[in-house]
Amino acid sequence: MLPETPRNGEYLVAAYVIATVILTGYWVALWRRAKRVMKSVTGEEKT
Amino acid sequence: MPDPLRLALAIAAKDIRAELRSRTALQSALVFAALVLVVFNFARDPTVLAATDLAPSVLWVTFALAAMVALNRAFTVERENAALDGLLLAPVPREALFLGKLLANLAFVGTVELVTLPLFMLFFNVSLGRALPGLLGVTALATIGFVAVGTIFSAMAVRTRFAELMLPVLLLPFMVPPLIAAVQVTSRLLADRPLSEMWGWLRLLALYDIVFVTLCMMAFSAVVDE
Amino acid sequence: MTVALAQAVGIVRRGLVLSAIGLLALGGVYLLALRYTPVEARQGLAQKIFYLHVPAAWSALLGFSLVGIASALYLWLKDPRLDRFAAASAEVGVVFSAVMLTTGPIWAKPIWGTWWTWDARLTLTLFVFFLFIGYLALRAAVHDPAERARFSAVVGILGMLLVPFVHLSVYLFRTLHPQPIVLKPSAPSLPPEMLTTLLVSTLVFTLLYLGFVTARYGLALVDEAREEARDAA
Repeated sequence: MLPETPRNGEYLVAAYVIATVILTGYWVALWRRAKRVMKSVTGEEKT
Repeated sequence: MPDPLRLALAIAAKDIRAELRSRTALQSALVFAALVLVVFNFARDPTVLAATDLAPSVLWVTFALAAMVALNRAFTVERENAALDGLLLAPVPREALFLGKLLANLAFVGTVELVTLPLFMLFFNVSLGRALPGLLGVTALATIGFVAVGTIFSAMAVRTRFAELMLPVLLLPFMVPPLIAAVQVTSRLLADRPLSEMWGWLRLLALYDIVFVTLCMMAFSAVVDE
Repeated sequence: MTVALAQAVGIVRRGLVLSAIGLLALGGVYLLALRYTPVEARQGLAQKIFYLHVPAAWSALLGFSLVGIASALYLWLKDPRLDRFAAASAEVGVVFSAVMLTTGPIWAKPIWGTWWTWDARLTLTLFVFFLFIGYLALRAAVHDPAERARFSAVVGILGMLLVPFVHLSVYLFRTLHPQPIVLKPSAPSLPPEMLTTLLVSTLVFTLLYLGFVTARYGLALVDEAREEARDAA
């Protein structure tokens, strides 16, 4: 008889969540840095 | 033009003489090594772990850490004295400069290791006897590896703000392959195993040394020249 | 806004858009992994972490190799674009390494019963991570751009050459000290759904890598363009 398939779905969820957090987190960090730069550039132009 | 090898030896001699006069790098490293050995002694339960099992690892971790202390101090002292700048102005081939620094650093670290070894034998009750020549050989090989990469990295680290942190962060990954090999050879030497069991590791060490001494020699100019 | 600055901003935008598309595509990969692929009988649901972990490792390794190659080329050609690219690739590589180093143990625990083992692959991935960190730490600690470029290039090249030695020593170590046999993460022959999903995921991760590196490269270029504009003013 084949051994039963283990029930380990919570690991799957944990891994997928963490990967999503890291990757989207990095995208957001890049985006925020870009926004900050754009604001200071247009800010410099106004002076 | 003077032979680059003689130049290197001259540079090394100058550094060694300077160090012998002030002794700062040597003293800090020796005290550090002794302290590390003491800490290791309290870090294990002697009833559970036999000294001989742990001995090679303890010895090599101590050597690795002491080497870093010595390397850091050596370059910092020199930086403070702006001695390097004078040398750089002269038309000294950078490879010779690297070789000179390497030899001087090897002398410092080698001295620390030679003094640490009897301390180690004393604290851990390990008798080296027949293993001694082999041990000296593997120590030389591994140390050349550490110090080659350590010399170029300490030249870089000294130009940064957090030199004492920068050197370990950069250097430790590079110390791992020679460390693994050195520990393997040392444990076999202490267990009196035949040379055939160590050959692969010794070849790895030799290859590492050849590759990294050459590379660091070639890259040294990129570090010290503007 | 100077022309150089406008161009740099354009690059950042392109990078952000590309990686945003990549993130959406990643959602598609999740769907594939969760619905389309079969559940592996021996490993259960946790096996599906494979579709994230392997492509992340591939991207991290790609990033790392490119840092090494760009470093070598920089020391030869002295083109600042190569240095900028190496820095971008290193930062993005760290991000993918983080994904790899978190999904790896999360996968290992239910399958191998332990969070970590010192097998050759895992040890190497840890090493690459430390080398990246060292590289980025050095860049942060050196202020003069030319000096920073030269120093990082040296570390990049030395790091790239260290990897085979680490691999060799860990391999030699393991053949002398046989560790408990570890389940191979994939069945000997992958069923087509698994293979397809893996390939799609790898493509998506590569897209993410390209997008992120472009954006990061652009941001560095923007900083430099602003410096120049300020100096010229």
